Formats: sequence, structure tokens, C-alpha cells
Amino acid sequence: MQEDKAFSPQESLALIQTMISKTKDSFADNTFYFLFWGWLVFGCCLVSYSLKVFLHYPNHFYIWWLMPVGGVITWIYGARQAKKERVKSFVDEALDYVWLAVGLAFFVLVLVNVVGGQTWQTAFTYYILLYAIGTFVTGNLIRFKPLIIGGLINFVLAVVSIRFGYDNQLLLGALAIFISYIIPGHLLRARLQKNTSQHA
Amino acid sequence: MFKELDPILHSQLRLAVMSLLIGVKEAEFTFIREKTNATAGNLSVQVQKLKEAGYIEVVKQFKDNYPLTTCKITPKGIEAFDAYVQALQQYLQAGQG
Repeated sequence: MQEDKAFSPQESLALIQTMISKTKDSFADNTFYFLFWGWLVFGCCLVSYSLKVFLHYPNHFYIWWLMPVGGVITWIYGARQAKKERVKSFVDEALDYVWLAVGLAFFVLVLVNVVGGQTWQTAFTYYILLYAIGTFVTGNLIRFKPLIIGGLINFVLAVVSIRFGYDNQLLLGALAIFISYIIPGHLLRARLQKNTSQHA
Repeated sequence: MFKELDPILHSQLRLAVMSLLIGVKEAEFTFIREKTNATAGNLSVQVQKLKEAGYIEVVKQFKDNYPLTTCKITPKGIEAFDAYVQALQQYLQAGQG
């Protein structure tokens, strides 16, 4: 690009448009989080269900200790990614805070159930509600329909879940995360890879 | 009456840098260089001019022992960019009339 070359208002406007289009819709690849948490929670739901219903193992809930482990892995991955990022868009920043808030809400819900001595009867209702909020907001911010649809279905599943007992809620939780994280996560990864290969 | 086009912005590379930064929270120097196809030397000079005008904020730090420069548009920069685009519109409308 030349410096101090005289240029017309038309050229000036064209330049602004070109440059803005280079950053428009830019957001970091966050599919790792959806796929990692999606498959982790999906697996834990099914294992927990099997331990409780089929094997009648009393400490079936021990499997959920994988959640804080997942939290640490996510934190390490996020810190490494942040070092690689060369540009931060407003969408990236908004997503950071949305998921930080959702993550904190998960933690608070666990505390409420543990400290309050709850029976965990409504735990999945609220977890599914949080999946719904996180994926619905993300889907709209990055304009990706499968996430929006997954989020909307989860709003419905949250209501449906209240009609089921804890055991079946585990299966419903697996279904909810499959619809809102795993399917959109894989679709989004495929789309991003396609875009990268086109631009390469 | 035509508004004078801001001489700081009415320069290809500086305008390109500002147009990139207006849409993001912050960007690294290498990202800007890649998107503008400018040489590091030329870009450094222009970034410095934008910084002196108070239009952008430049933060220099180290990442894994390599220098890292991050640029971010300031409120003054946003205002100047807005005024520049409005002035451009005036010129273009006059050209059409």
C-alpha cells in the first residue's frame, strides 16, 4: 500500500469498505468448547445413568467430579488460545463474558444444591436452561442457526424435564447437550474448516 | 461549505489502519500488516502518526520473549473517523448533484 498518494473521496470510501469487510463477522474458532463440553457432559450423563439404573452403584454421582477437571482443561486451553489470538473482535469479547457468566451460574447451581441439601430434582432443569441461554446468545452473535435452534429446543426441554424423575433427567440432559452443543459444534467446525480452505 | 478532509486520515495506509481498528476491540501489529499488505517500516511510521494524533492507543509488551504491539482505536479516533466519513459523504453528494 502506497503512502501519501493522492486519492479521491470515492477511492477513500472503497478503501474503508474493503478494510471493514476484512474484520466484519470475524470471531475466534470456539468449537473446541462446544465439542469438549458437549461430549464430556453427554458421556457423564450416560455413565451416571448406567451406574445408577443398571448397576445400582450408590456413588454413581462420582462421575461428575470430571466437571471441575473439565473446567481446568478449558481454562488452560483458553489461556493458550488467548496468546495466539492476533485480533479481538467485539463479538469475541461478548462471548467471553456470556460463557463466563454461564460457567459461574453452573458453579452456583452446584453450590445451591450441595449447600441447600437439595435432592437435585430440579438440577437438570436449570442446567438445560443454561445450555439454552448460552447457545441461543452465541448463535445470534455469530449468526449460526444450528446453535440458535439448539438453544430454542433446550428452552422447551427445560420445561419438559420437570415432568421427569432424576434418572430420566440424566437421559434428557444427554439429549439436550447433544442437540445444543454437539450437533451445532460439529456443523460449525465443518463450516469454519470449509471457509479456511476456501481462503487458503 | 465543504469540510476539510482530516489530513491525518486522508492517507491510504492510515485510513486503512483506522478502518480495520474501527470494527474490532484491538488488533496486533502483525494482523494489521497482513491485512494492509504494508511493509513493517512504513506501517510503524503511520501507526506512530496516528498515535501522536491521539487516534489510536499502542501497547508494547513481550510475549514469549518476542515484542508484541497491540493497537486499539480511541474515542477521539472514533470521533475523527466519523467526521471524516461525513465529510466524504458531502463530497460524494456534491459530485452526484
